Amino acid sequence: MKKVILQFRDVTYIYHTARGETTAAEKLSFAVEEGEFIAFIGPSGCGKTTLLSLAAGLLKPSEGAVDSGGVSFGYMLQKDELFPWRTIEKNIFLPLEIKKINTKENRERARSLAAKYGLAEFLQSYPAQLSGGMRQRAALIRTLATDPDVLLLDEPFSALDYQTRLNVTEDVSRIIRTEGKTALLITHDISEAISLADRVIVLSARPARVLASHELDFGTEQNPLKRRELNQFSAWFELLWKELNG
Amino acid sequence: MKRLKRNKGLQTYSREHALYLKRCRRKSALVWTFRIGLLVLLLGLWELVAATGVVDPFITSSPSRIAKTIASLYRDGSLFYHVGVTLTETIVGFLIAVGLGTGIALALWWSDTLRKILEPYVVVLNALPKIALGPLIIIWCGTGSKAIVFMTVLVGIIVAILHMLSAFIATDRNKILLLQSMGAKKFQILRKLVIPSSLASFVSMLKVNVGMAWIGSIMGEYIVSKAGLGYLIVYGGQVFKLDLVMSATCILCLLAAAMYFLVALLEKILVKTPES
Ligand SMILES: Nc1ncnc2c1ncn2[C@@H]1O[C@H](COP(=O)(O)OP(=O)(O)OP(=O)(O)O)[C@@H](O)[C@H]1O
Ligand SMILES: [Mg+2]
Repeated sequence: MKKVILQFRDVTYIYHTARGETTAAEKLSFAVEEGEFIAFIGPSGCGKTTLLSLAAGLLKPSEGAVDSGGVSFGYMLQKDELFPWRTIEKNIFLPLEIKKINTKENRERARSLAAKYGLAEFLQSYPAQLSGGMRQRAALIRTLATDPDVLLLDEPFSALDYQTRLNVTEDVSRIIRTEGKTALLITHDISEAISLADRVIVLSARPARVLASHELDFGTEQNPLKRRELNQFSAWFELLWKELNG
Repeated sequence: MKRLKRNKGLQTYSREHALYLKRCRRKSALVWTFRIGLLVLLLGLWELVAATGVVDPFITSSPSRIAKTIASLYRDGSLFYHVGVTLTETIVGFLIAVGLGTGIALALWWSDTLRKILEPYVVVLNALPKIALGPLIIIWCGTGSKAIVFMTVLVGIIVAILHMLSAFIATDRNKILLLQSMGAKKFQILRKLVIPSSLASFVSMLKVNVGMAWIGSIMGEYIVSKAGLGYLIVYGGQVFKLDLVMSATCILCLLAAAMYFLVALLEKILVKTPES
């Protein structure tokens, strides 16, 4: 059995505001193994973003515990959130600066990562000069710059138009698989979850609870576009759709 | 087939684009012609009605009398003295208001609690007509330049605080979240995100505050001064020397415009928006 690197144990999270309290997660339990790609699907507002913030340690559980014993995280958001006043290269170096590990070595590593995934010629460009797809790729390279153990992806494709989205999805999938990263992906999109993940976890409406967890049976096929053409795809789609809407 | 035209040997434009550029240039030439024409026309008309006695130049002055007055101010050396006094007061007041105001806005951004505590004070100070504090300022600062700088700061600082605070607070929440996920401390968020993303607002605040600084310094000179352009205007009014009033006003216009353009230039240097 593989090593478990992140575990939620009966995690409950409650937001407190002047207007009242909102329970965003309730008794959430699941474990993530090293190298696993997990997709979470759930209705909007159910607490998916909260789940990632809990995983990253940005929020502390109201009850229960998140065990992440020293693993490092890289966060990727819905929009690329590249800083418009920085070049792509400077954007990619940002996490190095923040973590105070902005050494020549690390910069070289980040640069070669960018080059490996087709960003070399854009390093000195500003984000506004890149297409949406390229920007999202730059955001992923920024996330990878510090070589995190676990990637947290919060609907990273939902701001893109359909065509770009298919391409970027394939792109990101390839990069994550090549780099051998563990990834938690949040999405509204059932087909996106099926085409990318090893495992899909279905969450309930707010407060988020685990409704089901499915190990997908695509074997070694990891290409999202090819997966969409396989027979299992529609079967999984139907099943997950029923679970979400039933 | 498209006919292409070479331009500066670097870029090729289609014929249509060349025509478009030509139209743009023609339009801008037209605008400038009318701008300057309008000024010449107004000055000429003013001169004419004053010279022919349609209006009394004693009350309205006239361009030629203004020119003469400025020349004589220049000859007896008082022109640069008064301009210098007002300019120094305005610039010093402006810099203090902008610097201190931005600093206070940073402190208010940093601490939610401090912001909540001070909010009503800032609101009241903003609403208060600063000129009401004139007598107090005279008692506290005397009747010299210090009082005028104080007035200038008072007029500008609240605008600086409110403008910058709203810019700091408007910082993109998702970008803050992103930095936090990288483990950023509050100071890093400030340095890497809040300050750079507020640069454009900072420059627009400077522009507003140039105007505020002139209001402050001239108002201050109305109340207390013994020198400066505001003083010349008040003095000229009291002794009914309308030529002096008009001359000082004209110089003021020029100075205010010059300072505004300096800030606009600064904007070009600081706020680079990369072309897509
Ligand atoms: N900072 C906050 N303070 C109070 N309530 C919050 C806060 N953040 C989120 N919530 C509430 O918690 C619930 C879950 O929010 P969350 O953002 O985790 O959902 P989500 O599944 O990511 O939603 P979406 O599908 O819109 O991205 C929502 O009802 C939201 O209104
Ligand atoms: Mg969300």
